[in-house]
Amino acid sequence: MVSFSGLEFLFRFLPIFLVVYFVTPLRYRECVLLVGSIVFYAVGEPLFIPVLIIAAILNYLLDRKEWELGEGFSIHEWQKEARKKYLIGAVVLDVIILVVFKLLGTFVDNALLPLGISFYIFKMISFQVDVYRREILVQPKFRYVMLYFVMFPQVVSGPIMRYNEGEFDLERTCGPEQFEDGLKYFVLGLGMKVLLADRLAILWNDLQMIGFQSISTPLAWMGAAGYSMQLYFDFWGYSLMSSGLMVMLGYNFIENFNHPYASKSIGEFYRRWHMTLGSWFRDYVYIPLGGSRCDKKKLVFNLALVWLLTGIWHGNGINYIIWGSILGILIILEKLFYGKYLSKIPVLGRLYVLLVIPLTWVVFAITDPGQLGIYFGRLFPFLGGAGIAVNQQDFIRYAQNYGIFFLAGIVLCIPTVFRFFEKHKKNPLMLVFLLVIFWCSIYFASSSAGNPFMYLNF
Amino acid sequence: MKYLKKCPLLVLLLSTGLLFSIIAICGRTGIYAGQEYDPLKAPVLSVMFTAMNDDIYPWQMLQSESIEAGNQTVEIGGEVPQEEPEKPDKPLPSPEVTPTPLPSPSPTPEAEQIPFERPEPLRESTYDEYINHISADIYGDVGILHAADYEFIQVDESYFDDALFIGDSRTVGLRDYTDLSGHADFYCETSLTIYKVMEENFKGQGTIPDALASKDYGKIYLMVGINELGRGTTEDFMAKYTEVIDTLHELEPEAKIMIQGIMRVSGKKNESDAIFNNSNINARNHAIATLADNETIFYIDVNEVVCDEEGNLNAEYTFDQIHLLGKYNDLWKQFLLSHGTEEREITDDGQ
Repeated sequence: MVSFSGLEFLFRFLPIFLVVYFVTPLRYRECVLLVGSIVFYAVGEPLFIPVLIIAAILNYLLDRKEWELGEGFSIHEWQKEARKKYLIGAVVLDVIILVVFKLLGTFVDNALLPLGISFYIFKMISFQVDVYRREILVQPKFRYVMLYFVMFPQVVSGPIMRYNEGEFDLERTCGPEQFEDGLKYFVLGLGMKVLLADRLAILWNDLQMIGFQSISTPLAWMGAAGYSMQLYFDFWGYSLMSSGLMVMLGYNFIENFNHPYASKSIGEFYRRWHMTLGSWFRDYVYIPLGGSRCDKKKLVFNLALVWLLTGIWHGNGINYIIWGSILGILIILEKLFYGKYLSKIPVLGRLYVLLVIPLTWVVFAITDPGQLGIYFGRLFPFLGGAGIAVNQQDFIRYAQNYGIFFLAGIVLCIPTVFRFFEKHKKNPLMLVFLLVIFWCSIYFASSSAGNPFMYLNF
Repeated sequence: MKYLKKCPLLVLLLSTGLLFSIIAICGRTGIYAGQEYDPLKAPVLSVMFTAMNDDIYPWQMLQSESIEAGNQTVEIGGEVPQEEPEKPDKPLPSPEVTPTPLPSPSPTPEAEQIPFERPEPLRESTYDEYINHISADIYGDVGILHAADYEFIQVDESYFDDALFIGDSRTVGLRDYTDLSGHADFYCETSLTIYKVMEENFKGQGTIPDALASKDYGKIYLMVGINELGRGTTEDFMAKYTEVIDTLHELEPEAKIMIQGIMRVSGKKNESDAIFNNSNINARNHAIATLADNETIFYIDVNEVVCDEEGNLNAEYTFDQIHLLGKYNDLWKQFLLSHGTEEREITDDGQ
């Protein structure tokens, strides 16, 4: 049920929830959303729901202490010290929870990793720091804090919204127009996920089924491109669905992707890809360490640390660490050496991104280092990656079968196309288009067991 | 009206949803009777979409009576395919194990007219097995044992020059990752089922009947059945399978028909999947093996060379627990090379 593109969610949970939500008077709606979110999470993760609830309550209690110590006109030094202690305590607690479960998930059993823990723990940390930094201006009420941590559009795979972006204290306007807007984003995201990402996922699955040693070099490149798009539309589609739901419920749209494949450098790519994660690392790790306002040695260290952590956060295989390290190295090199050339010659920058990013996704995709080596051998056969039982014509058939998805994916990677959609979203043709997308997605969701989001279990 | 103006997409979605639900409910007893759905997990309208996969479309409801009638004839045709082809078959050692009430005399090479009696099922599938998608083992190992009586011979690749391979994604692997496609013709497609074998229009190739009409095949290899698991009972599957085999034989009487046992899945899949597991596969293999008369119809089982000692697809040979990795299709090819049948003329001469 936790998958937004599943029939259980679309036709059972969501309609019932929306009806209850909108017949409830405005001031009780937060409670409805809170209860609905807990039900949603409990169905997906009945075992570990106490982890989420207890972590949320502890974070609230620590926040309240911290808040109380910071009240008043003059704040004593001891109060400042105490606040700092509470902050450190809270952050350490959150990090320990995350690390313990990550270790259990890695070394004992993957099933021990609670659903969405990487996302909700990051929200908790950001909340504590924001309170400490006095970026939250009104004392957070218990129900708002709980709601912020567990709200169902975000609890499973983000976006990692900030507490302030929730605007919990403001009067919520959720009129029909706003609902309709949110619905459009939701349907568009659903289409990206089901009609593009899930279709392209079959290509990647096929390559694994064949065995990397038996794929031709053109097919290996097609696989890298296909996986890059699959990951993008899976996660962008999910983010659009999540933010669409938020808008439908009367909250803000949280932007998580800003056409990353149109970037001119790797650094820029990651300012536009999974933006809420990137800005989290920037605000809560990179800048506290000194950011880029320090000497080169420190800068390199800061970037390396951030990207190592990013790699570890994404998964529990050695390949994620390699992936994060490669990105860290590339970004350091960009900052120190060739970044200025990339921005001066946009064509060069774009080609660089479109070549390098898919290769890094291959590292991200393949958890087994031996298999990873074989895949790179097939990508670059002149480096000595002779295949076994390779069918040299295989890519032709795959191009015929997947050409249409590649084409649609490439078109959607162009920023102008999406802007065109946003501009003409009230056009009747666009409505018909969205209607067709919705029912085509339902067709696929009905007739095939949809594969859940790739960013589900962190 | 106010809502149509302010949220047209919502109104459109709700009204089309309502329309589809009505269609689905109306068809529940008619064209959608065969579609399963769990009201807790899916909306009723999902049957409309699942039916489309079986080529059943809403507009057929208008002509539903004729379709039902059509289905029935197919079913009847499928259930009574027991009559043997007219063509006088060679005698064969009729298996003692055949649990048929009909007299099965001891083999006499001279008795040209005695046809091979296909074993009858030992029992029927139970209702429990039916609703739980369990393929019942209703034939036992009669067919397998009989098929094993035949002594296959080693052949070389040129043996396949007049061979036709029909199959699902597994056969696609055999085509793409061995050099057999240089010799034989392959009519295979991912998710092919026995129900579609004869009608399927293979991309750029046409249908099987077309193929049989345009070229004289000496051998027809068939491996389908994994996609059908969970659909119907062993009886349903067997009825259709028998019909297809008989049709193939009718269309190409000279060809040896090689029924290939469905390749099993790995142990991991076997333990975790209620439908795609090896007991279901074995039950269906037991059924189709009974069609082998060791004369024009043979049964061979590649599981002999791709499975581990527990009878599961060897975990090393597969990534997705179902298909052979590209390079391991060679095991299958070698198996086929070691399972040639003698040319008929030679058999005739020998006798």
